[in-house]
Amino acid sequence: MGTDAAFLAPVIPAIAFALILITGRRIPGIAPHLSIAAILASFVVWVVVFLAFLEDGAGTRSVEWFTVGGFEFTWGATVDEISLVMLGVVSFVAIGIQIYSLEYLHGEPRLWWYFAVQSLFAAAMMVLVLADNLLLLYLGWELVGLGSYLLIGFWWERRSAAEAAKKAFVTTRIGDVALLIGFVLLFEATGTFDISTITQLAHAGTIDETQLKWALIFIFGGAAGKSAQIPLHVWLPDAMEGPTPVSALIHAATMVVAGVYLVVRLFPIYNMVPEALDLIAVIGLLTALLAGVTALAMTDLKRILAYSTVSHLGFMMLAVGAGAPGVAMFHLLAHAFAKASLFLGAGSISHGSGQTDIQEMGGLWRRMPFTAVMFWIGALSLAGLPLLSGFFSKDEILLAVHDGRLNDGFLVVTFVAVAFSVLYTGRMLYQVFLGRLSTENEDAHEPGIRMWAPIGVFALLAAVLGPLAFEWGHDYHGFVSWVTDSEEGFHINMAISGASIAIVAVGLYLTGLIYMQRRISATAIQRRLGFMATAAQRKFYFDEVYQWGINQLVLPLARLTAFIDRAWVNDIGVDGPGKTTRWGGGVLRYLQTGMVYNYALGMVIGAVVLGVIWWSI
Amino acid sequence: MNGFDDSVLSLLVVLPFATALALILWPGDSDQLRSMKWFSAVVALVSTALVAWILLRFDYTDGSQYQFISETAWLDQLGIGFDLGVDGIAVAMLALTAIAFPAAILVGWNVDARSKDYLILLNLLVGGVYGTFVSLDLFFLFFFYEIAVLPMYLLIGFWGSSTSFPRFTRSKEYSAMKLVLFLVGGSVLIWVSIIAMFVEADLNSFSLLDLQRAGFDESFQNWVFPLLMIGFGLLGGLWPLHTWSPDGHVSAPTSVSMLHAGVLMKLGAFGIIRVGIQTIPEGAEAWAPLLLGMGAVNVIYGSIAAMSQTDLKYVIGYSSVSHMGYVFLGLATMHTLGVTGAVLQMFSHGIMTALMFTLAGAVYGSSHTRDIGALSGLAKVMPVGAFFFAVAGFASLGLPGFSGFVAELLVFLGLFQTYPWVGALAVIGAGITAVYMLRLLAKVYFGETDPRWESLPDLKLNEKLVAGMLALTLLIVGLAPFYLIDIIREGVRHVPTVTG
Repeated sequence: MGTDAAFLAPVIPAIAFALILITGRRIPGIAPHLSIAAILASFVVWVVVFLAFLEDGAGTRSVEWFTVGGFEFTWGATVDEISLVMLGVVSFVAIGIQIYSLEYLHGEPRLWWYFAVQSLFAAAMMVLVLADNLLLLYLGWELVGLGSYLLIGFWWERRSAAEAAKKAFVTTRIGDVALLIGFVLLFEATGTFDISTITQLAHAGTIDETQLKWALIFIFGGAAGKSAQIPLHVWLPDAMEGPTPVSALIHAATMVVAGVYLVVRLFPIYNMVPEALDLIAVIGLLTALLAGVTALAMTDLKRILAYSTVSHLGFMMLAVGAGAPGVAMFHLLAHAFAKASLFLGAGSISHGSGQTDIQEMGGLWRRMPFTAVMFWIGALSLAGLPLLSGFFSKDEILLAVHDGRLNDGFLVVTFVAVAFSVLYTGRMLYQVFLGRLSTENEDAHEPGIRMWAPIGVFALLAAVLGPLAFEWGHDYHGFVSWVTDSEEGFHINMAISGASIAIVAVGLYLTGLIYMQRRISATAIQRRLGFMATAAQRKFYFDEVYQWGINQLVLPLARLTAFIDRAWVNDIGVDGPGKTTRWGGGVLRYLQTGMVYNYALGMVIGAVVLGVIWWSI
Repeated sequence: MNGFDDSVLSLLVVLPFATALALILWPGDSDQLRSMKWFSAVVALVSTALVAWILLRFDYTDGSQYQFISETAWLDQLGIGFDLGVDGIAVAMLALTAIAFPAAILVGWNVDARSKDYLILLNLLVGGVYGTFVSLDLFFLFFFYEIAVLPMYLLIGFWGSSTSFPRFTRSKEYSAMKLVLFLVGGSVLIWVSIIAMFVEADLNSFSLLDLQRAGFDESFQNWVFPLLMIGFGLLGGLWPLHTWSPDGHVSAPTSVSMLHAGVLMKLGAFGIIRVGIQTIPEGAEAWAPLLLGMGAVNVIYGSIAAMSQTDLKYVIGYSSVSHMGYVFLGLATMHTLGVTGAVLQMFSHGIMTALMFTLAGAVYGSSHTRDIGALSGLAKVMPVGAFFFAVAGFASLGLPGFSGFVAELLVFLGLFQTYPWVGALAVIGAGITAVYMLRLLAKVYFGETDPRWESLPDLKLNEKLVAGMLALTLLIVGLAPFYLIDIIREGVRHVPTVTG
């Protein structure tokens, strides 16, 4: 029953998408209604499926799609703890975002198109989440990429938006090439895309070890692209060109966690290949650290949030690499609501004050107290302030790194990365909300209910979800155990929690000294750091390196190929014989003089030559 | 099978020729053009209905290789008969033609110069295409093949356009000449092979049914197959003999480009299957690695060359070269997955390219330029055109949900069963497609609208109709590929040496 109903969750927004495409332009104002009604219905489906799940437990249901030779391809849905968490987050956050968009994008001429793509995205994301096989998952995976492309490029008249959309799609596409190769490698080894069958076969040892290893590494390449892991993270900060609600939904709460979701979903297989987990842990930690440092150097509010997202995605990957997929899911949940409220808050700030650069802000809490409080809750939750949900999830990550399969070096670096997340949070909060209100921001104001209500709800959830970590009874040994279906209860390591709390306290105090009381000069620190500060401001030169590669390698290669195709294949290969023939004809036509004595001479010479040959034989 | 089933293929082949004849005899004044266009369109739809009939009546459970067989003796002394019949592969190609041909007629609605002759040539071309797909006699297969190819010379040479590029000029006469010389060169190889097979089999028969059972010895197969592969491969755009194709596109008028990339190039790949792999199976097996290598170059070379083109139609032309590479790769796998994927790719690429040329034609028709650098922000003035171009572009880069994805996926799966490294290369090629397709989309349709293009019209009604129909086909086959795949599979099952 539950799994049957689950099919409806993606189907309803897909129908809404089709309806909006047909009617959206002709019937003004219908698009938001259709889209929001559809996503509400999907949420109801989630509730029904969740209740059924509590009764019946996990299940899978699939139907044949097509068959070739002996190979069957299917469409199917899996309902289990992981997919339910994701489905709930996706449908719930999407509702809030769409309602928020009503006010944020009010008066936008292409609003119908915006809501059409929102529905398309919701449908695709739910397909991705529910898919019971890699092929269907890939379908959802690519379609969310399409939704992301279309929404980043929503204001396509702006060249920068069009370029950012292209960059996002192409960068993730690089990952997707690896992803598809990984999937196909698994298919080659097992003859199926079905995830549970592949898992069984992997555990039975029927898959060649090297092939399994490479398949998993390639699949992680895809996950790294979608979840903006270094070095494929470059598209995410640029994706902020899209409308802010899009950044909140797609580029913070849902789509970008798809990579994390994928490796969690395949964790039973990843768990067999330590090399792959090592790679995930290293990349995840590196991403968390570098993105955290970069966030400290950015001045655009949305870009700070974007790098913060990259950093937190790194933490999630790190948790998976440490062997704790449940922890990754917990942090995913905590991050989703906190980041959604932060982005919506940022949208509310730019909506109310017209500012996007934090250096131009300051004292905004006086004009936007509600937004300020919600923003602080979300930000401090992610920084790990005790009792907020981010504190618990971050603690669990540190615990997983400490207890898990990784060595102690990882723990040290993780603490450093955590410290940076506290520092950029403190810097952001103080600069935006405290200090003096500048005269040009005098008119800043709070948004209307359709904007502040979603912000409030998400911030509230970011505040209170923490206790989910605890053991509540015989059936529920804490969120992490519930998600991974284990019996192990929640425990606390006092040393780690203590250290984590200390870092939060010191970090917020330090940034307070710098950015609020201004006892320490930020520019002096910058000067002292020298090239390291510059490197962080230039985002560690990733974009420059890629641009160099495109300009110096890719484009010349393309031009060279086009040149070869024209100059060699065509001008020499095709025109060559043509010209030779013409030239040959031009030369040879002198042999046909039309004068009898020329031909007679030729005959005589021929006869003599033949005679000589005949004689010599 | 009832009487109509026996004659439906003959009717399908004769109809376009009869139409051409009727148009020739039509008391031809320019005031009659409208009725002539309507007449052609209606007849084209009738042949579409015939193909629909074949699709519906095709028997999956029949088990025999060819269906709807009709045999008419023609020249008994040489064993030549007007033998027609289809297998699953041919039916898929008929479906493609049945969609692309009415689309081309509709898009060619705006052709004003000598449109009567234009329609006559289009009908001849399509009669040849239908004939090639359904012939079970090598003499007639070759005959129709030539009929399909030759009208291109006039269609490009007269109705085409010449373009000056910074470093060279492509005149329509040049492109038409190049195209015909190449294809006739290929035909020579094909004709030599056909004669050789006739003589070697010593059955006094050109019938494919006989020749496919002849059991040629290995050394014969080994020297004949490469001739067929090159001869037919040429028309399919096999590297390095693809060079006629992008030039042909750049010079051809829109509806001719649609048929050229949509249907004609498929004739080449179809010939490799029907005359090559099915008749010369061991030769095909021996030469598969070469086909594989050239197909891989097609994919990568075509997509890299497409990246730096400045002309809208050159990009699509090189993209076609790249996409046809997947067909060759799929065939070279000799694996059910790969070969089925190859045939599906032929269908899917045909529809997709027809869509793309429709839209490129709409841009060129109103702006009179195809220079990517000069165009920008067209989405503002032609939103419908931009929408459909995005559909075509994403279908081209293999977005799941469109038919190209299923086709390419099957090719990849087949490749990984046989030549995994080439499979990896093919996936990378599909990745590069995203780069040049999105570049095109971003440059031409996005960004600020250049004042020069502020008053461009959106798609005309006929273009909208065609674009909608083609896009819908891509989507339907992409989401519900089982119908077409079941038909294709029924044909692939009978291809000897195909495993898996």
